Amino acid sequence: MFRLQGSKVLAVDMTGDAVKAKNGSMVAYDGQMAFKKLSGGGEGLRGMVTRRLTGEQMTVMEVRGHGTCWFADRAAEINLVGLRGDKLWVEAGNLLATDAGLRTGTTFTGLRGAAQGNGLFTTTVEGHGQAAIVSDGPAVVLRVSPQYPLIVDPGAYVAHQGDVRQSFQSGVTFRTLLGEGGGEAFQIRFEGDGLVYVQPSERNTIAGDL
Amino acid sequence: MSTYATPGAGPAVYDPLTLPADDNVNRYTFCVELKGGQWFLQKGKMIAYYGAIEFNGIGHGRLDRLVRTSFHSPLHASDWVVAQGSGKMLLADRAFDVNSYDLDDGNLTIRAGNLLAFQPSLALKQSIVPGFLTLIGTGKFVAASNGPVVFMEPPIRVDPQALVGWADCPSPCHHYDHSYMAGVLGGLRAVTGFGGVSGEEHQFEFVGAGTVLLQSTETLMAEAATGAVPSEPGVPGGGSTAPGGHGPQSSGAPRLPGQLGDLQRRFGL
Repeated sequence: MFRLQGSKVLAVDMTGDAVKAKNGSMVAYDGQMAFKKLSGGGEGLRGMVTRRLTGEQMTVMEVRGHGTCWFADRAAEINLVGLRGDKLWVEAGNLLATDAGLRTGTTFTGLRGAAQGNGLFTTTVEGHGQAAIVSDGPAVVLRVSPQYPLIVDPGAYVAHQGDVRQSFQSGVTFRTLLGEGGGEAFQIRFEGDGLVYVQPSERNTIAGDL
Repeated sequence: MSTYATPGAGPAVYDPLTLPADDNVNRYTFCVELKGGQWFLQKGKMIAYYGAIEFNGIGHGRLDRLVRTSFHSPLHASDWVVAQGSGKMLLADRAFDVNSYDLDDGNLTIRAGNLLAFQPSLALKQSIVPGFLTLIGTGKFVAASNGPVVFMEPPIRVDPQALVGWADCPSPCHHYDHSYMAGVLGGLRAVTGFGGVSGEEHQFEFVGAGTVLLQSTETLMAEAATGAVPSEPGVPGGGSTAPGGHGPQSSGAPRLPGQLGDLQRRFGL
Protein backbone atom coordinates (compact mmCIF):
# COMPACT_ATOMS: atom_id res chain seq x y z
CA MET A 1 0.00 0.00 0.00
CA PHE A 2 1.57 3.28 -1.16
CA ARG A 3 1.07 6.50 0.76
CA LEU A 4 2.84 9.84 0.79
CA GLN A 5 4.49 11.12 3.92
CA GLY A 6 4.92 14.78 3.19
CA SER A 7 5.26 15.33 -0.54
CA LYS A 8 8.79 14.03 -0.99
CA VAL A 9 8.79 10.72 0.83
CA LEU A 10 6.90 7.62 -0.21
CA ALA A 11 5.93 5.17 2.52
CA VAL A 12 5.01 1.65 1.54
CA ASP A 13 3.34 -0.68 4.02
CA MET A 14 4.07 -4.30 3.24
CA THR A 15 2.80 -7.56 4.61
CA GLY A 16 4.96 -10.11 2.94
CA ASP A 17 4.40 -8.67 -0.53
CA ALA A 18 6.94 -6.84 -2.69
CA VAL A 19 7.54 -3.61 -4.55
CA LYS A 20 9.98 -2.68 -7.28
CA ALA A 21 11.82 0.56 -6.64
CA LYS A 22 14.65 2.56 -8.15
CA ASN A 23 17.95 1.20 -6.90
CA GLY A 24 19.19 3.02 -3.83
CA SER A 25 16.03 5.03 -3.23
CA MET A 26 15.28 3.47 0.18
CA VAL A 27 15.78 6.01 2.95
CA ALA A 28 14.48 4.06 5.95
CA TYR A 29 12.50 1.00 6.92
CA ASP A 30 11.12 -0.73 9.96
CA GLY A 31 10.27 -4.39 10.29
CA GLN A 32 11.93 -7.06 8.21
CA MET A 33 12.96 -6.17 4.67
CA ALA A 34 14.98 -7.90 2.04
CA PHE A 35 16.46 -5.91 -0.82
CA LYS A 36 17.36 -7.68 -4.02
CA LYS A 37 18.74 -6.08 -7.11
CA LEU A 38 16.76 -7.01 -10.18
CA SER A 39 19.00 -7.09 -13.19
CA GLY A 40 17.29 -5.59 -16.18
CA GLY A 41 14.34 -4.28 -14.19
CA GLY A 42 12.94 -7.76 -13.64
CA GLU A 43 11.96 -8.01 -17.26
CA GLY A 44 13.99 -11.08 -18.07
CA LEU A 45 16.80 -11.45 -20.53
CA ARG A 46 14.83 -9.98 -23.41
CA GLY A 47 13.89 -6.89 -21.40
CA MET A 48 17.48 -6.50 -20.33
CA VAL A 49 18.75 -6.53 -23.87
CA THR A 50 16.01 -4.15 -24.99
CA ARG A 51 16.83 -1.69 -22.25
CA ARG A 52 20.50 -1.87 -23.03
CA LEU A 53 19.81 -1.23 -26.71
CA THR A 54 17.31 1.57 -26.21
CA GLY A 55 19.14 3.46 -23.49
CA GLU A 56 16.13 3.29 -21.19
CA GLN A 57 18.27 1.71 -18.52
CA MET A 58 16.78 1.38 -15.14
CA THR A 59 18.36 -0.20 -12.12
CA VAL A 60 15.62 -1.63 -10.02
CA MET A 61 15.55 -3.44 -6.73
CA GLU A 62 12.87 -5.66 -5.33
CA VAL A 63 11.91 -4.96 -1.74
CA ARG A 64 10.03 -7.69 0.09
CA GLY A 65 9.10 -8.01 3.72
CA HIS A 66 6.88 -7.07 6.61
CA GLY A 67 6.71 -3.50 7.84
CA THR A 68 7.07 -0.07 6.34
CA CYS A 69 9.69 1.06 3.89
CA TRP A 70 10.31 4.71 2.96
CA PHE A 71 11.62 5.83 -0.42
CA ALA A 72 12.82 9.21 -1.71
CA ASP A 73 14.84 10.49 -4.64
CA ARG A 74 16.89 13.72 -4.50
CA ALA A 75 14.09 15.56 -2.67
CA ALA A 76 11.96 15.45 -5.81
CA GLU A 77 8.20 15.65 -5.47
CA ILE A 78 6.44 12.29 -5.58
CA ASN A 79 3.15 11.66 -7.34
CA LEU A 80 1.06 8.52 -6.85
CA VAL A 81 -0.58 6.93 -9.88
CA GLY A 82 -3.30 4.31 -9.59
CA LEU A 83 -3.48 1.83 -12.45
CA ARG A 84 -6.58 -0.24 -13.12
CA GLY A 85 -5.58 -2.32 -16.07
CA ASP A 86 -4.43 0.70 -18.05
CA LYS A 87 -0.98 1.72 -19.09
CA LEU A 88 1.36 4.44 -17.81
CA TRP A 89 4.12 5.89 -19.98
CA VAL A 90 6.96 7.43 -18.00
CA GLU A 91 10.66 8.13 -18.43
CA ALA A 92 12.80 5.56 -16.61
CA GLY A 93 14.43 8.31 -14.57
CA ASN A 94 11.08 9.54 -13.28
CA LEU A 95 9.80 6.18 -12.11
CA LEU A 96 10.41 5.69 -8.40
CA ALA A 97 8.47 2.59 -7.40
CA THR A 98 5.78 0.23 -8.60
CA ASP A 99 3.81 -2.62 -7.12
CA ALA A 100 5.60 -5.87 -7.90
CA GLY A 101 2.54 -7.04 -9.77
CA LEU A 102 2.83 -4.33 -12.42
CA ARG A 103 4.55 -5.16 -15.67
CA THR A 104 7.17 -2.77 -16.92
CA GLY A 105 8.46 -2.58 -20.44
CA THR A 106 10.03 -0.35 -23.05
CA THR A 107 8.30 1.31 -25.93
CA PHE A 108 9.13 3.55 -28.85
CA THR A 109 7.97 7.14 -28.51
CA GLY A 110 9.29 8.68 -31.63
CA LEU A 111 9.96 12.36 -32.02
CA ARG A 112 8.53 13.35 -28.65
CA GLY A 113 11.38 11.68 -26.87
CA ALA A 114 13.90 13.19 -29.20
CA ALA A 115 12.59 16.70 -28.55
CA GLN A 116 12.87 16.12 -24.83
CA GLY A 117 16.42 15.08 -25.19
CA ASN A 118 15.89 11.83 -23.38
CA GLY A 119 15.86 9.36 -26.16
CA LEU A 120 13.47 7.74 -28.53
CA PHE A 121 12.19 5.21 -26.03
CA THR A 122 10.22 5.35 -22.84
CA THR A 123 9.16 3.02 -20.07
CA THR A 124 5.66 1.61 -19.78
CA VAL A 125 3.97 0.30 -16.68
CA GLU A 126 0.77 -1.70 -16.91
CA GLY A 127 -1.53 -3.83 -14.81
CA HIS A 128 -3.44 -3.30 -11.60
CA GLY A 129 -1.76 -1.50 -8.74
CA GLN A 130 0.06 1.64 -7.80
CA ALA A 131 3.13 3.41 -9.09
CA ALA A 132 5.04 6.42 -7.80
CA ILE A 133 6.65 8.90 -10.17
CA VAL A 134 8.96 11.79 -9.32
CA SER A 135 8.88 15.28 -10.76
CA ASP A 136 10.67 18.59 -10.27
CA GLY A 137 7.95 20.39 -8.33
CA PRO A 138 4.53 18.80 -7.77
CA ALA A 139 3.05 17.58 -11.03
CA VAL A 140 -0.23 18.99 -12.29
CA VAL A 141 -2.52 16.26 -13.57
CA LEU A 142 -4.40 17.31 -16.69
CA ARG A 143 -7.24 15.36 -18.26
CA VAL A 144 -7.30 14.75 -21.96
CA SER A 145 -10.74 14.07 -23.37
CA PRO A 146 -12.02 13.88 -26.95
CA GLN A 147 -13.41 17.43 -26.82
CA TYR A 148 -10.38 18.88 -25.04
CA PRO A 149 -7.05 17.90 -26.54
CA LEU A 150 -4.01 19.10 -24.60
CA ILE A 151 -0.75 20.57 -25.81
CA VAL A 152 2.31 20.16 -23.59
CA ASP A 153 5.83 21.52 -23.66
CA PRO A 154 8.24 18.56 -24.09
CA GLY A 155 10.44 19.86 -21.28
CA ALA A 156 7.60 19.83 -18.76
CA TYR A 157 6.11 16.46 -19.72
CA VAL A 158 6.56 13.77 -17.06
CA ALA A 159 4.18 10.92 -17.79
CA HIS A 160 0.80 10.03 -19.21
CA GLN A 161 -1.68 7.24 -18.78
CA GLY A 162 -4.73 5.92 -20.56
CA ASP A 163 -5.84 5.68 -24.13
CA VAL A 164 -4.04 8.71 -25.50
CA ARG A 165 -2.59 9.41 -28.91
CA GLN A 166 0.34 11.75 -28.98
CA SER A 167 1.52 13.69 -31.92
CA PHE A 168 4.39 15.99 -32.30
CA GLN A 169 3.71 19.49 -33.46
CA SER A 170 6.30 21.92 -34.55
CA GLY A 171 5.98 25.64 -34.87
CA VAL A 172 9.32 26.09 -36.54
CA THR A 173 8.96 28.66 -39.28
CA PHE A 174 11.25 31.02 -41.11
CA ARG A 175 10.79 33.34 -38.12
CA THR A 176 12.51 30.83 -35.83
CA LEU A 177 15.54 30.95 -38.06
CA LEU A 178 15.53 34.74 -37.84
CA GLY A 179 15.55 34.56 -34.05
CA GLU A 180 11.97 35.76 -33.86
CA GLY A 181 10.45 32.44 -32.90
CA GLY A 182 7.52 32.01 -30.59
CA GLY A 183 9.66 30.32 -27.97
CA GLU A 184 7.48 27.23 -28.04
CA ALA A 185 8.73 25.66 -31.21
CA PHE A 186 8.11 22.04 -30.28
CA GLN A 187 4.99 20.82 -28.61
CA ILE A 188 3.36 17.47 -27.97
CA ARG A 189 -0.34 17.23 -28.65
CA PHE A 190 -2.34 14.64 -26.69
CA GLU A 191 -5.71 13.45 -27.95
CA GLY A 192 -8.02 10.71 -26.71
CA ASP A 193 -8.99 9.86 -23.18
CA GLY A 194 -6.50 9.85 -20.34
CA LEU A 195 -4.34 11.84 -17.96
CA VAL A 196 -1.11 13.74 -18.53
CA TYR A 197 1.35 14.63 -15.73
CA VAL A 198 3.13 17.94 -16.20
CA GLN A 199 5.83 19.34 -13.92
CA PRO A 200 6.18 23.09 -13.13
CA SER A 201 9.70 23.19 -14.49
CA GLU A 202 11.31 22.63 -17.85
CA ARG A 203 14.18 20.32 -18.57
CA ASN A 204 16.73 21.64 -20.98
CA THR A 205 15.68 20.55 -24.39
CA ILE A 206 17.05 21.23 -27.80
CA ALA A 207 13.82 23.12 -28.42
CA GLY A 208 14.27 25.30 -25.40
CA ASP A 209 16.05 28.12 -27.15
CA LEU A 210 14.01 28.31 -30.32
CA MET B 1 -17.77 10.83 -19.63
CA SER B 2 -14.27 9.68 -18.93
CA THR B 3 -13.09 6.41 -17.53
CA TYR B 4 -10.19 8.23 -15.88
CA ALA B 5 -12.21 9.74 -13.09
CA THR B 6 -10.43 11.41 -10.24
CA PRO B 7 -8.82 8.58 -8.31
CA GLY B 8 -10.16 8.32 -4.78
CA ALA B 9 -7.33 9.72 -2.70
CA GLY B 10 -5.11 10.69 -5.58
CA PRO B 11 -4.13 14.14 -6.77
CA ALA B 12 -6.70 16.52 -8.20
CA VAL B 13 -7.19 16.05 -11.91
CA TYR B 14 -7.78 19.22 -13.90
CA ASP B 15 -9.53 19.77 -17.19
CA PRO B 16 -10.38 23.05 -18.93
CA LEU B 17 -13.55 23.42 -16.90
CA THR B 18 -11.97 22.89 -13.49
CA LEU B 19 -8.74 24.81 -14.05
CA PRO B 20 -8.90 28.22 -12.35
CA ALA B 21 -9.10 31.32 -14.52
CA ASP B 22 -6.14 33.65 -14.00
CA ASP B 23 -5.23 32.06 -10.70
CA ASN B 24 -2.76 29.61 -9.19
CA VAL B 25 -3.30 25.89 -9.73
CA ASN B 26 -0.80 25.20 -6.96
CA ARG B 27 2.10 27.17 -5.50
CA TYR B 28 4.26 26.51 -8.54
CA THR B 29 1.82 26.68 -11.43
CA PHE B 30 -0.35 29.52 -12.67
CA CYS B 31 -3.26 29.23 -15.08
CA VAL B 32 -4.04 32.03 -17.53
CA GLU B 33 -7.39 32.12 -19.29
CA LEU B 34 -7.31 33.62 -22.76
CA LYS B 35 -10.57 34.65 -24.38
CA GLY B 36 -9.36 36.01 -27.66
CA GLY B 37 -7.03 38.32 -25.75
CA GLN B 38 -3.29 38.51 -25.50
CA TRP B 39 -0.65 38.05 -22.82
CA PHE B 40 3.03 38.73 -22.91
CA LEU B 41 5.12 35.89 -21.54
CA GLN B 42 8.75 35.06 -21.20
CA LYS B 43 9.95 32.39 -23.60
CA GLY B 44 9.72 28.82 -22.47
CA LYS B 45 7.56 29.40 -19.39
CA MET B 46 4.45 27.82 -20.88
CA ILE B 47 4.22 24.20 -19.77
CA ALA B 48 0.86 23.15 -21.25
CA TYR B 49 -2.34 24.53 -22.71
CA TYR B 50 -5.85 23.63 -23.75
CA GLY B 51 -7.54 25.31 -26.70
CA ALA B 52 -6.13 27.22 -29.63
CA ILE B 53 -3.28 29.47 -28.60
CA GLU B 54 -0.64 30.90 -30.86
CA PHE B 55 2.80 32.05 -29.74
CA ASN B 56 4.53 34.75 -31.71
CA GLY B 57 7.79 36.58 -31.26
CA ILE B 58 7.68 40.26 -30.44
CA GLY B 59 8.84 41.07 -33.94
CA HIS B 60 5.75 39.48 -35.52
CA GLY B 61 4.24 42.04 -37.89
CA ARG B 62 0.64 41.75 -36.74
CA LEU B 63 1.65 42.55 -33.17
CA ASP B 64 3.14 45.86 -34.12
CA ARG B 65 0.40 47.98 -32.56
CA LEU B 66 0.34 46.01 -29.33
CA VAL B 67 4.08 46.15 -28.95
CA ARG B 68 4.02 49.89 -29.55
CA THR B 69 1.67 50.45 -26.63
CA SER B 70 2.94 47.98 -24.07
CA PHE B 71 6.48 46.84 -24.76
CA HIS B 72 9.29 49.34 -24.48
CA SER B 73 12.29 47.20 -23.79
CA PRO B 74 14.17 46.40 -26.98
CA LEU B 75 16.90 44.62 -25.05
CA HIS B 76 14.44 42.02 -23.86
CA ALA B 77 12.52 41.60 -27.08
CA SER B 78 14.07 38.25 -27.85
CA ASP B 79 13.08 36.88 -24.44
CA TRP B 80 9.40 37.64 -24.80
CA VAL B 81 6.57 36.26 -26.85
CA VAL B 82 2.91 37.12 -27.19
CA ALA B 83 0.33 34.41 -26.62
CA GLN B 84 -3.02 34.95 -28.25
CA GLY B 85 -6.11 32.88 -28.87
CA SER B 86 -8.59 31.24 -26.59
CA GLY B 87 -8.04 28.55 -24.04
CA LYS B 88 -6.27 27.98 -20.77
CA MET B 89 -2.53 28.02 -20.46
CA LEU B 90 -0.30 26.87 -17.59
CA LEU B 91 2.81 28.82 -16.68
CA ALA B 92 5.65 27.68 -14.42
CA ASP B 93 9.31 28.41 -13.92
CA ARG B 94 11.90 25.88 -12.69
CA ALA B 95 9.63 24.80 -9.84
CA PHE B 96 9.86 28.21 -8.20
CA ASP B 97 6.90 29.78 -6.43
CA VAL B 98 4.72 31.79 -8.79
CA ASN B 99 2.20 34.43 -7.84
CA SER B 100 0.07 36.95 -9.62
CA TYR B 101 -0.12 40.58 -8.64
CA ASP B 102 -2.61 43.25 -9.62
CA LEU B 103 -1.48 46.75 -10.39
CA ASP B 104 -4.09 49.46 -10.27
CA ASP B 105 -2.76 52.50 -12.05
CA GLY B 106 0.55 51.87 -10.35
CA ASN B 107 4.13 51.03 -11.06
CA LEU B 108 6.32 48.18 -9.98
CA THR B 109 9.96 47.40 -10.63
CA ILE B 110 11.07 43.78 -10.64
CA ARG B 111 14.20 41.77 -11.33
CA ALA B 112 14.13 40.85 -15.03
CA GLY B 113 14.51 37.11 -14.45
CA ASN B 114 11.58 36.97 -12.04
CA LEU B 115 8.86 38.29 -14.31
CA LEU B 116 6.99 35.53 -16.13
CA ALA B 117 4.04 37.13 -17.85
CA PHE B 118 1.87 40.24 -17.93
CA GLN B 119 -1.31 41.57 -19.46
CA PRO B 120 -0.91 43.99 -22.36
CA SER B 121 -2.81 46.63 -20.39
CA LEU B 122 0.48 47.08 -18.55
CA ALA B 123 3.45 48.71 -20.20
CA LEU B 124 6.86 47.12 -19.74
CA LYS B 125 9.86 49.42 -19.56
CA GLN B 126 13.43 48.95 -18.55
CA SER B 127 14.31 50.36 -15.15
CA ILE B 128 17.34 52.62 -14.94
CA VAL B 129 18.58 50.17 -12.32
CA PRO B 130 20.39 47.62 -14.49
CA GLY B 131 18.76 44.20 -14.59
CA PHE B 132 15.37 45.42 -13.48
CA LEU B 133 12.15 46.01 -15.41
CA THR B 134 9.33 48.40 -14.57
CA LEU B 135 5.66 47.74 -15.22
CA ILE B 136 3.33 50.72 -15.41
CA GLY B 137 -0.44 50.82 -15.68
CA THR B 138 -3.38 48.68 -14.65
CA GLY B 139 -3.47 44.94 -15.00
CA LYS B 140 -2.22 41.59 -13.81
CA PHE B 141 1.24 40.13 -13.98
CA VAL B 142 2.83 36.86 -12.86
CA ALA B 143 6.19 36.69 -11.15
CA ALA B 144 8.31 33.86 -9.79
CA SER B 145 10.32 33.87 -6.59
CA ASN B 146 12.49 31.43 -4.75
CA GLY B 147 10.23 30.79 -1.79
CA PRO B 148 7.15 32.85 -0.93
CA VAL B 149 7.28 36.62 -1.37
CA VAL B 150 7.08 38.92 1.66
CA PHE B 151 5.96 42.52 1.42
CA MET B 152 7.76 45.14 3.50
CA GLU B 153 7.28 48.85 4.01
CA PRO B 154 10.18 51.28 3.77
CA PRO B 155 12.26 52.55 5.48
CA ILE B 156 14.04 49.21 5.27
CA ARG B 157 17.45 47.82 4.39
CA VAL B 158 17.41 44.55 2.48
CA ASP B 159 19.91 41.96 1.43
CA PRO B 160 20.75 42.33 -2.28
CA GLN B 161 20.14 38.66 -2.95
CA ALA B 162 16.69 38.65 -1.39
CA LEU B 163 15.34 41.63 -3.30
CA VAL B 164 12.66 40.78 -5.86
CA GLY B 165 11.31 44.24 -6.61
CA TRP B 166 9.60 47.34 -5.29
CA ALA B 167 6.37 49.16 -5.99
CA ASP B 168 5.29 52.79 -5.98
CA CYS B 169 8.80 54.12 -6.28
CA PRO B 170 10.55 54.29 -2.97
CA SER B 171 14.06 55.30 -3.86
CA PRO B 172 16.62 52.49 -3.57
CA CYS B 173 20.27 53.10 -2.81
CA HIS B 174 23.32 51.17 -1.61
CA HIS B 175 24.19 51.14 2.07
CA TYR B 176 27.48 49.98 3.59
CA ASP B 177 28.01 49.38 7.28
CA HIS B 178 30.17 52.02 8.91
CA SER B 179 32.83 49.72 10.35
CA TYR B 180 33.30 48.26 6.91
CA MET B 181 34.02 51.71 5.56
CA ALA B 182 36.05 53.29 8.33
CA GLY B 183 39.81 53.50 8.18
CA VAL B 184 42.48 51.45 6.50
CA LEU B 185 41.67 48.39 8.59
CA GLY B 186 38.05 48.53 7.50
CA GLY B 187 39.13 48.75 3.90
CA LEU B 188 41.50 45.84 4.29
CA ARG B 189 38.74 43.82 5.86
CA ALA B 190 36.32 44.63 3.08
CA VAL B 191 38.74 43.65 0.37
CA THR B 192 40.40 40.61 1.92
CA GLY B 193 37.82 39.30 4.32
CA PHE B 194 40.47 39.14 7.10
CA GLY B 195 39.28 40.03 10.56
CA GLY B 196 35.78 38.81 9.98
CA VAL B 197 33.15 39.81 7.50
CA SER B 198 29.61 38.73 8.15
CA GLY B 199 28.66 38.95 4.49
CA GLU B 200 25.94 41.39 5.44
CA GLU B 201 27.87 44.66 5.34
CA HIS B 202 26.30 45.74 2.09
CA GLN B 203 22.57 46.30 1.81
CA PHE B 204 20.03 48.03 -0.37
CA GLU B 205 18.26 50.79 1.47
CA PHE B 206 14.72 51.88 0.62
CA VAL B 207 13.15 55.10 1.86
CA GLY B 208 9.91 56.82 0.92
CA ALA B 209 6.39 55.50 0.57
CA GLY B 210 5.81 52.21 -1.18
CA THR B 211 6.24 48.48 -0.89
CA VAL B 212 9.35 46.32 -1.14
CA LEU B 213 9.06 42.70 -2.29
CA LEU B 214 11.49 40.15 -0.88
CA GLN B 215 11.91 36.47 -1.52
CA SER B 216 12.48 34.24 1.42
CA THR B 217 15.81 32.78 0.36
CA GLU B 218 19.03 34.36 -0.73
CA THR B 219 19.41 32.01 -3.65
CA LEU B 220 19.07 34.23 -6.67
CA MET B 221 17.12 33.08 -9.64
CA ALA B 222 19.29 32.87 -12.71
CA GLU B 223 19.42 36.28 -14.29
CA ALA B 224 18.04 36.72 -17.73
CA ALA B 225 20.63 38.42 -19.88
CA THR B 226 19.54 42.01 -20.12
CA GLY B 227 21.97 43.28 -22.68
CA ALA B 228 23.59 46.68 -22.47
CA VAL B 229 21.86 50.03 -22.43
CA PRO B 230 22.95 52.52 -25.06
CA SER B 231 26.22 54.25 -24.37
CA GLU B 232 25.23 57.80 -23.50
CA PRO B 233 26.46 60.23 -20.90
CA GLY B 234 24.18 60.13 -17.88
CA VAL B 235 22.86 56.61 -18.47
CA PRO B 236 23.83 54.39 -15.52
CA GLY B 237 25.50 51.22 -16.66
CA GLY B 238 25.68 52.51 -20.20
CA GLY B 239 28.78 52.53 -22.28
CA SER B 240 31.79 50.31 -22.05
CA THR B 241 32.86 50.96 -18.45
CA ALA B 242 33.04 47.79 -16.41
CA PRO B 243 30.16 47.29 -13.96
CA GLY B 244 32.42 48.39 -11.11
CA GLY B 245 33.21 51.76 -12.67
CA HIS B 246 32.82 54.74 -10.38
CA GLY B 247 32.07 57.52 -12.85
CA PRO B 248 34.22 60.61 -12.38
CA GLN B 249 36.00 59.11 -9.38
CA SER B 250 37.30 56.04 -11.13
CA SER B 251 40.90 56.38 -12.03
CA GLY B 252 40.58 55.65 -15.70
CA ALA B 253 41.37 51.97 -16.00
CA PRO B 254 38.45 49.67 -15.13
CA ARG B 255 38.92 48.00 -11.77
CA LEU B 256 39.53 44.29 -11.96
CA PRO B 257 38.10 41.93 -9.38
CA GLY B 258 40.63 41.37 -6.62
CA GLN B 259 42.43 44.63 -7.29
CA LEU B 260 42.79 46.83 -4.23
CA GLY B 261 40.99 49.70 -5.93
CA ASP B 262 39.19 51.02 -2.91
CA LEU B 263 42.32 50.77 -0.76
CA GLN B 264 44.32 52.77 -3.26
CA ARG B 265 41.75 55.51 -3.14
CA ARG B 266 41.85 55.52 0.66
CA PHE B 267 45.59 56.14 0.50
CA GLY B 268 44.96 58.90 -1.98
CA LEU B 269 46.75 57.16 -4.83
